[in-house]
Amino acid sequence: MDDKYDLRGLLFSTFEDLIPKVLEGTPLEDSSAQIAFGLATFAVVNIVFLMLFFSQFAILWIERKAVARMNDRRGATTALRSLWVGENGVTAGEWWNMLPFGLGKPIGGLNKWLNKKFGNRDEKFATVDRVNNRSWMGYSIFPGFFQNVADGMKFLVKEHMVPQRADKLIFEVAPFLIVSSTLLILGIIPLSSGMYATNPELSILYAIAIFGIAPIGVFFAGWSSNNKYTLIGGIRSAAQLTAYEIPLLLTLLSVAVLSGTFNIIESIHFQHSAGAWNLFLMPLGAGLFLLTMIAEVERVPFDMPEAEAELVEGWWTEYGGMRFGMLFMAEYIRTYAACFLFTHFFLGGWHLPFQGLISQIPLLGDAYLLIPGAIVVLVKAWLVFLLVFVWARFSLARIRTDQILEFGWRILLPLAVLQVVLAGIYRLYLFDPTAMKDTAAGGWAWDAFGVPMLVPILTTIVWLGIFVLFLNDEDKSGNTERMFHVYTEKPAGTYVPGQE
Amino acid sequence: MPMHPHAKPNFRNLFWYPFKITLITALRTFPIFGKLFGKRLAMGYHNTTHPEFLDDGSKARADKNSQFNDITQQQFAPDRVTSDLFPTLWKPQTVQYPYERLEDMEPWLFVPGNYNGRIGVIWETCTACKLCVTACPNDCLHMTTELRVDVLDSADGEHEGFGAELEVGGYAAQLIPEIAESSDDFNHVTAHSDTPDQWRFAEVLDLSGSTAMVRWNDSGIEQEVEQTELFVADDQIVSGRIDLGRCMFCGLCMEACGFTSFFMTNEYDGMSGFTRQDLWFDASRTRVLPSVHQEAVDAELAKRANKEKDKRAKKAAKAAKAAAEEGA
Repeated sequence: MDDKYDLRGLLFSTFEDLIPKVLEGTPLEDSSAQIAFGLATFAVVNIVFLMLFFSQFAILWIERKAVARMNDRRGATTALRSLWVGENGVTAGEWWNMLPFGLGKPIGGLNKWLNKKFGNRDEKFATVDRVNNRSWMGYSIFPGFFQNVADGMKFLVKEHMVPQRADKLIFEVAPFLIVSSTLLILGIIPLSSGMYATNPELSILYAIAIFGIAPIGVFFAGWSSNNKYTLIGGIRSAAQLTAYEIPLLLTLLSVAVLSGTFNIIESIHFQHSAGAWNLFLMPLGAGLFLLTMIAEVERVPFDMPEAEAELVEGWWTEYGGMRFGMLFMAEYIRTYAACFLFTHFFLGGWHLPFQGLISQIPLLGDAYLLIPGAIVVLVKAWLVFLLVFVWARFSLARIRTDQILEFGWRILLPLAVLQVVLAGIYRLYLFDPTAMKDTAAGGWAWDAFGVPMLVPILTTIVWLGIFVLFLNDEDKSGNTERMFHVYTEKPAGTYVPGQE
Repeated sequence: MPMHPHAKPNFRNLFWYPFKITLITALRTFPIFGKLFGKRLAMGYHNTTHPEFLDDGSKARADKNSQFNDITQQQFAPDRVTSDLFPTLWKPQTVQYPYERLEDMEPWLFVPGNYNGRIGVIWETCTACKLCVTACPNDCLHMTTELRVDVLDSADGEHEGFGAELEVGGYAAQLIPEIAESSDDFNHVTAHSDTPDQWRFAEVLDLSGSTAMVRWNDSGIEQEVEQTELFVADDQIVSGRIDLGRCMFCGLCMEACGFTSFFMTNEYDGMSGFTRQDLWFDASRTRVLPSVHQEAVDAELAKRANKEKDKRAKKAAKAAKAAAEEGA
């Protein structure tokens, strides 16, 4: 089902109405349709790109806050307020005074007003006020969110240095190759059926192809820096590539087989019209996709190319300043894109959970459907990032190169082949194409033996059972052999003599 | 080879447990989940169920209606002043260590049991095999002997009377009741000093009837004392000193110990001092929690008493057999 909010349709119809009227009687009148199309495309592409780009600050913030919680802290607290509260009357460097033609005057005025209204309370405690700059009376909205802006500013003003004996051309080209190919991924990611930049027929193939370009840039960077660490990092990246790319491609192939399409938007439509998200039809495929994607975006536990403990900073050791910033950003955009792809391939894109059932309820159902699809997609992507990428990062240890090669070739590849076969069987024998329905309620194409939705339910139960079997697959009797540590019954410091 | 239960490379330990631990660690920092996890510890939020552990200042800070909990009364805002989601929920966050301790304020944030903290040795079960001394990479462990009362000698109740007996030229000890009583109030966990010694030692000069002539080690005065007041002491009991200034808390000593007498406790207090000499820990400062200690000592006591019992029974049987043979 299409999203209620059709930004594309709105913009295109507006421009198609407006532009012929504006251009009436001018030499451009004949080509007004093309101009309207171009302007509408320009507008929608910019809106989608900016939404995707700026919403990635959220995942940086999510990760930062998660690691802070792991360390029993609250993390960075640089809040928006630091823009208008400063020390000794200097507010955020008074940068608006440096803008030409007095353009910054309104900004300065706004800052002064905010400082007066939500500044520090008095001048009696100078040190206290400096500490207090992060919050207003202890209240701050999204503390640490604007740390990203501060970091970006810092990268922008730092010096760019090329190692003396580096291959300078390639050294300069590599980050742009990585960043540009990464930004191209965002082009095909839909935020909803009415909000996407472009929708090529074979967008799944395009996604795979464009994802595979950045590792070449990584290898360029590693080689051209003329540094042992970067070279090892680049080589590791290339070795890793061979191990996980093929299972990844096969997993996406099984998504395509099950959905019967190579188009992302159509595969989302399929999940809704058939009645079940792909996650519940191919949990194995979802797991494989996440594993290979973590390797693809080089995050823990598959981050040997930039293993900080061994290789300084891996293949990007020699990059500094904004080039480092851009590579850093590209890493996160790739991760973010992976989250979006998982959302679209396995979590039903912009469709709400239990949309078919809840939309049947009279008033509540209508209210439920009012949630914009773009918000649903963003929230799903953020949750995937938090619950998969961040959680795995802070739980698992980095694995060795030979381990990922072994894992990729001998475990992931056979499993991916199995998933392709399973997807074919599901599509051919368990799927009922006549029960597809493109309404708010969705279809019931996965019934079996007259039981509604038996196929996804049974599949999920079977794979959960396998997971539980794996958890219990050990001999617990051997674990009591030796006590290594004193496990205190009471927390330290609470012992009171004579009281047991 | 005995393996640590968390070291077995299976799916549960390599994959599931890390995820589980991470989740719990992150969630418990949110008071609502922390309280939930901390319920097992039978401590209220901000230690409200045991207010006797808090000093007046802490009590005031933990009190719900205290001025410290009112954000508008605050003159400054520490880092962790509000939560991200509920900025109106505010609580004091700075822990005034050592007057307050995090374990008291937020009991779910206790130090994990497998944390390598201060070294604790149960000397009663130590066999002086010196495996720990060999294992130590920093040479911080030193084995000595010490004048002490053996556990078996001072045992009462079921295992009484199986210890050694007083002999001339040996050592004896007398309990100082005031110190023994006051040492019950001694805080084993946070103290920066040794436990006060509750024994007074003496050399046995002569045994006659129910009394013994002893020379007190502390004063050199000779005195006639009832034998029932005296316990047998020994100057060859294994003991050790640990230079904590050299220790890097690797725990190799603990793993080398084959008798479960060497521990890395999860305690972090009482390990500081103003001189390097303060970091030389005598046997009495390498202590484990009293309950753990008591359990190990009880087990050891039973073992030794049974051994002694067997020995005496065998001796008696042998004597009886010899007497029977003689009679025949």
